Amino acid sequence: MDTQLFLSGVIFGLSIGSIFFLMAIGLSLCFGLMRVISLDQLLYYSIGAYITYSLSLALGSVWLGVLGGMIMGGLASFAVERFIFRRIYERDVTFSMITTFGILIGGVGIIKSIWGLVPRPVPVPISTQIDIAGTAVPAYRLIVIVVAIAVYGAIWLFLNRTIVGKAIRAGIEDVEHVEGLGINVYRLFTITFIIAGVLSGLAGGLHAPLIMVDPVMGLEVLAFVFMVVIIGGLGSIKGTLVSAFLVGQVVSLGSLVYAPLAQMAPFAIMLLILLLKPTGLYGSPLLKR
Amino acid sequence: MIGALKWWAGPLLAFALLAALRLLLPLAFVIEVLIFSIYTIGCSFLLGRVGFISFGQPAYLAVGAYGTGFYLFYFGTNPYLGLLIGLVSGFVFALAVGPLFVRLRSDYFALVNLALAVIIFYLMQKVLADVTKGDNGLWFLTNIGSTPGLDIARPEGFFVFSLLVGLAVWAFYKYVNDSVFGACCLASKLNEDKLKFLGYGNFGIRLMAFVLANTTSALAGSMYAIYLGFVSPEITSPARAADPVVVTILGGTGSLYGPIIGTLAYTGMKDAISKLVGNWELAIGFLLVFIMLAGEKGIWGTLEPRLQRALSRVKARVAR
Amino acid sequence: MSAAAPLLAVAALDVSYGESKVLFDIALDVAERQVVTCVGRNGAGKTTLLKTIAGFVKPSTGRIDANGKSLLGLPAYEIARQGVKYIPQDKKVFSDLTVRENLELGSYATRDYDWDQVIAYFPKLTQLMDRKAGHLSGGERQMLMIGRAILGRPKLLLIDEPTEGLAPSIVEQLKEVFKDLCRRAALVIVEQNLPLVCAISDKVYALREGRIVAELAGRDRLTPRVCEQYV
Repeated sequence: MDTQLFLSGVIFGLSIGSIFFLMAIGLSLCFGLMRVISLDQLLYYSIGAYITYSLSLALGSVWLGVLGGMIMGGLASFAVERFIFRRIYERDVTFSMITTFGILIGGVGIIKSIWGLVPRPVPVPISTQIDIAGTAVPAYRLIVIVVAIAVYGAIWLFLNRTIVGKAIRAGIEDVEHVEGLGINVYRLFTITFIIAGVLSGLAGGLHAPLIMVDPVMGLEVLAFVFMVVIIGGLGSIKGTLVSAFLVGQVVSLGSLVYAPLAQMAPFAIMLLILLLKPTGLYGSPLLKR
Repeated sequence: MIGALKWWAGPLLAFALLAALRLLLPLAFVIEVLIFSIYTIGCSFLLGRVGFISFGQPAYLAVGAYGTGFYLFYFGTNPYLGLLIGLVSGFVFALAVGPLFVRLRSDYFALVNLALAVIIFYLMQKVLADVTKGDNGLWFLTNIGSTPGLDIARPEGFFVFSLLVGLAVWAFYKYVNDSVFGACCLASKLNEDKLKFLGYGNFGIRLMAFVLANTTSALAGSMYAIYLGFVSPEITSPARAADPVVVTILGGTGSLYGPIIGTLAYTGMKDAISKLVGNWELAIGFLLVFIMLAGEKGIWGTLEPRLQRALSRVKARVAR
Repeated sequence: MSAAAPLLAVAALDVSYGESKVLFDIALDVAERQVVTCVGRNGAGKTTLLKTIAGFVKPSTGRIDANGKSLLGLPAYEIARQGVKYIPQDKKVFSDLTVRENLELGSYATRDYDWDQVIAYFPKLTQLMDRKAGHLSGGERQMLMIGRAILGRPKLLLIDEPTEGLAPSIVEQLKEVFKDLCRRAALVIVEQNLPLVCAISDKVYALREGRIVAELAGRDRLTPRVCEQYV
């Protein structure tokens, strides 16, 4: 394999991994803190992409579209938390999984009735190619990677430097103890859901120019995103980053070796990791409830 | 004799009603309902009795379908034998992956099963494309020979056959639910530790339930293969991974007749709504959320107590 | 509200977990700056009682008033904000957070904290400030949990089995802390160590099978031997 192909493969993998990371981080936080599996985040990803499509058509700027997508993602997540999750926190994980799956496919129905079934293209906002070691690399993919790393940094700072973030970290360990200290955990839940929704919207918006936006796009990445969360360990931020890039590379480099492998290999890796270490790479076995 | 009749009354009545449905609705619809019900009962059993939610049922459906498909495409013509081969391959497959899967916590179990469905999908679509013909699928409708007695190569014959298979499957699950094993499954869902104290291994019970449920799914896969006369990777498409779960919830988790009611509602809605507004996901999705928030009893779970009350009222009146 | 109204008043309290009833007709009251102890065997319902007052368990019937205001129906965090703080038995600190961060969370709600008091009680914590709480010993964890709770100037502390599994020297230290602490807040302590109970308590309630079987007060009645009879 020549270096050019390899290098562009790596960049492709990193950019895909970045999208996976942005999606998975919210899911991972939601699971860690609330012990819910929030499949509806996949819907906010699609919403983010569609808002980006519509706004970029209306305003001529993809970036504004992405911003709109983030806002819509956050709002949708907020609404669902308020009206649905509030009623099901006490239930077990499978319950949230089924309920949010209902939201997901219901939302896909809404998307179909607003935007129709035809896949929509979103233009790439920067078509510049940057030369790295003799390989032309699309600048947009680099931007996606930078955004993901910046988000990781911001989340890290939020969780480690702000009191709300510290409360969220404490809550991932034991929600009841946090509540016992007089902290309104439901507000923490709401904040976490909004963060997750905004990041899902961001992921959808950033991904839109790289793919065709279609109603079932959320279902298409669902399996990959969950794989990222599971390989990384539910509730672990660092694990999510590592596994997102790992899965991105496997998808990308795998397809250079043998195309069908690209889709299958990550799942095989996930099975392997789960069977060897059922809590994922960085998952803590301490998590209770 | 009376006891046996009473025991059989439920399944017989259910399938008599399904047979009667044939008078009102097209054959294809009723057969679809029959096969899909069989497909779903395994999922319903896993969720309701063992507490395992599986987003990977298409994997087992596909194993059955491809088992039958390979036989009919490459080797033989007897559909009954094909069905048996599909059933056995489903059993062997479930037995092979089961020991690894049933150790997992229920949330991981759901996702790992989903992963399995995706792997099978790509396996059939790409990796094994030489034998599976990839996306085109295997077409073997003309290979299926007619059989003496009940000719399941013809739709009418297949319809009768599906009714009989369904009746057998339901009688079997009714028996299982009433058995010690069924009670143990329920116990393993509710309280793992206490079950261990009673001397029943959790692992063994879950494995048996897993194999049982997934072999049933494989049986449904085989039936699809014979009825449609072809198999393609579409059968294990990840996009359809949640269908059996949705139907299970719609019908009422863990109840014996929930899967039939759920399938009727789901298939009917899919048909009716897609004719009316062209997107049935909206209705199904929000119905699902509604059912979950309203106490997750499902259609049958809500109807059953009412039916029983009505029944006892009728009985009282007859007695008078 | 009369001046004599107790800080905490519990009356006719029944609590059930699903089908099984665990507390029957509990009545107790705690005055300002009083140390009240609950003794009883495992399973007598002591922990449930504390959790119910703290709002983590919802009672089926009964009244719980603090400062003359009902606590019933309030979420647990709101009860904690009103100065009624529960310190659970499991000695579970947030192990991924540092000692300082653990303490900061203790003052999250009120933003008014008594940092010096915590240091005065538990000088050892100053050296541990930047260590992850997961690395602390059992005694240090208990200090951190109590420190975390008193940081926000509580009015009433509900402390569940504070000395369980701790070394005698640390138990001694906690005893002094409790003696001093009651000048700032009332304490309700669940404890098995009867000599300690008698040394610090103004009043002892004995629980047996979900009922209060005795209320002991006064120097002469508060001896380990008397308490023993009811446990």
